[in-house]
Amino acid sequence: MIDPTLRGFIKKEFIQALRDRRMRFILLMMPLVQMTIFGVAISTEVKNIRLAAFFNAKDNVLRDVYERAIMGGWFIPAKAAGRIAQHPFELIRANKADAVLVAPPKGFTHELGRKTAPLQLLIDATNVVQAESVEAYLKAILADTVASDLKVAASPPPPIRFDVRVLFNPSLDTATFMVPGVMVMIMVITTFLLVVMGVVREKEQGTFEMLIAAPVSRTELIFGKTLPYVVIGMADLPLMLPVSVLAFHVPLRGSFLYLFFATLVFVSTIVAAGLLTSTFCANQQQASMGSFLFMFPAIMFAGIIFPIENMPPSVQVFAAIDPLSHYLILLRDIMLKGSTIGLLDRHVLALVGIAAFSITASFARFRTTLR
Amino acid sequence: MEDEVVVEAKQLLVRYGDFTAVDHISFAVRRGEIYGFLGANGAGKTTTIRVLCGLLPPTSGDVRVAGIGYRQDEAPLKAVARPPWGMRISAGGYERVERTIKTKVGYMSQKFTLYNDLTVGENLDFIASLHKMAPAVYRRRRQELLEFISFKKNLGDMVGELSGGIKQQVSLAAAMLHDPEIVFLDEPTAGVTPAGRLRFWKLIRRLAENGKTVFVTTHYMDEAEQCGRIALMRDGRLIAEDSPAGLKKLIFPEPVFEFDPIKPLSFSELKSFETHEAFSFFQPYGHRFHAAAANAEVWARRAPDLRTIFSIRPIAPSLEDVFIRAIEGRR
Repeated sequence: MIDPTLRGFIKKEFIQALRDRRMRFILLMMPLVQMTIFGVAISTEVKNIRLAAFFNAKDNVLRDVYERAIMGGWFIPAKAAGRIAQHPFELIRANKADAVLVAPPKGFTHELGRKTAPLQLLIDATNVVQAESVEAYLKAILADTVASDLKVAASPPPPIRFDVRVLFNPSLDTATFMVPGVMVMIMVITTFLLVVMGVVREKEQGTFEMLIAAPVSRTELIFGKTLPYVVIGMADLPLMLPVSVLAFHVPLRGSFLYLFFATLVFVSTIVAAGLLTSTFCANQQQASMGSFLFMFPAIMFAGIIFPIENMPPSVQVFAAIDPLSHYLILLRDIMLKGSTIGLLDRHVLALVGIAAFSITASFARFRTTLR
Repeated sequence: MEDEVVVEAKQLLVRYGDFTAVDHISFAVRRGEIYGFLGANGAGKTTTIRVLCGLLPPTSGDVRVAGIGYRQDEAPLKAVARPPWGMRISAGGYERVERTIKTKVGYMSQKFTLYNDLTVGENLDFIASLHKMAPAVYRRRRQELLEFISFKKNLGDMVGELSGGIKQQVSLAAAMLHDPEIVFLDEPTAGVTPAGRLRFWKLIRRLAENGKTVFVTTHYMDEAEQCGRIALMRDGRLIAEDSPAGLKKLIFPEPVFEFDPIKPLSFSELKSFETHEAFSFFQPYGHRFHAAAANAEVWARRAPDLRTIFSIRPIAPSLEDVFIRAIEGRR
């Protein structure tokens, strides 16, 4: 039998959260809309790169490289006319092309017969991420083309061959990688804000005074104000999961049960962190500020956009205490790898630890008296 | 039973840092009394009420409310009273006491504390759950209270859409839901229309008739007149405590007169009366004036002159006069 005070709180918070039409929209539609928009926008995949190539008519191998690049779908031919079209560097400076291949004077095909075959590639690196992708794409296409063309010419193959097998995301589809990150972001934004605002609104509107004028214990008050938000936060999972699986083709290889469990631990941790934040805020302005101060670094250190492995060790400490980073790993492991997780999983334990700290600190800070 | 003391404070002290909000006040309220607290803003009325409701631990003093008493001794080490991180390590003892008190008192804050985005029924449901009331008891109580406040609206009406007067009546019902023996009302009629105030005070009187003890603060003198006893607070101290009539005698031992100007007074004439030697008190009251005679000898000498300007009749001072003289300290 659930405590009547707690039941009263759950009922009240649900009515308040769902009565307002705008609030209902934020709770139910925002995850869907944001999933779709962020999922498409945050993708680091580079498409429609404008490519130009300078080679003479007899340079068969380089023509093959160029044509394969265009056929592959990542590249489109650069369009330019007049003087600019004659100068590789001008093409990039005039922003008519993102990458330009320039054959050596005697032709790439000719040079291939010798030991080293030089080939110039100009890349516009104003967008570093795109430049790196372009380089990687073109290298791959080049290697492929040279290999197949030389087989015909019966020359010895290149001395080293990598046998690359891309696991769990064979098409290197960025959505598969990014969408779990987007799910984490949306979940933290809705849940965290709701909790902080929910608690602070009581203080600001004076209803907090009524709550503590009643004989409720600190425990009832804290769980009464947080449990409903755990439930509301969990509702994001069935809202977002279909979008990621159906619209972005992110696989769900692991069990839904594990996913549910990991999400429950994560949402509880975020609610606890929100509660702790709310104890520092007296009004909604401070609450927005506090939420921002938590969420911005939390998203930065989560490994959603920048891989944690690339951060210096001193900064990786922040990632270790960031609940988002742990949940993101769990989410990717369960969805992409089909991993099973136990109660004693390192990341589950980390989340529980962060939650335990937040709850303890909240208990110490939460007032049941007035000033 | 009638004379039973249900609220008692002895040497009650509340400090916020260096500021003393309530300065060693003592008083006792008997069952069924309507006990009024009068004072300027910041005099310590609300702080006192919050201590009595268990919302605020006092710095020191003895408090007894509805038979539950506790004593708070001033913390011996003031310097470490605030541990790092602003944590409040509230004594477990206080929390237990304070929760027992809360089951026996009702509290209506000067702020409106019901949820505007919930209906009347939902608000009452929630408050009943805070008090862990059994459903049957709750429904009976709710029915009684809605009849008591003559609630004509729907339980399904949003609280935010009710008028100020009705809101306050619903607040009173909410504060009385768990059937407390003492109810603390902090400026319950602020922002309510005169008709609404009359209705609200009718309810207060009926509560007292039914044996409830009502502890009320107000800024309206006509409301203060209806209290059985009034405590005057000034700068955290209780400067006088008596019935309205007793208070008037206490603050105005000298005779008081009403001055009705025969012809309109100029501003400079008015100024001269404020410092006139015949008066120990001279204040406008509507378009008339209330004044107290400084002493019999001067009064006898100056009265004939004054009678040429005013028609003068002896009156009992109003509570407003008492308030102005005692609280604001004006002559």
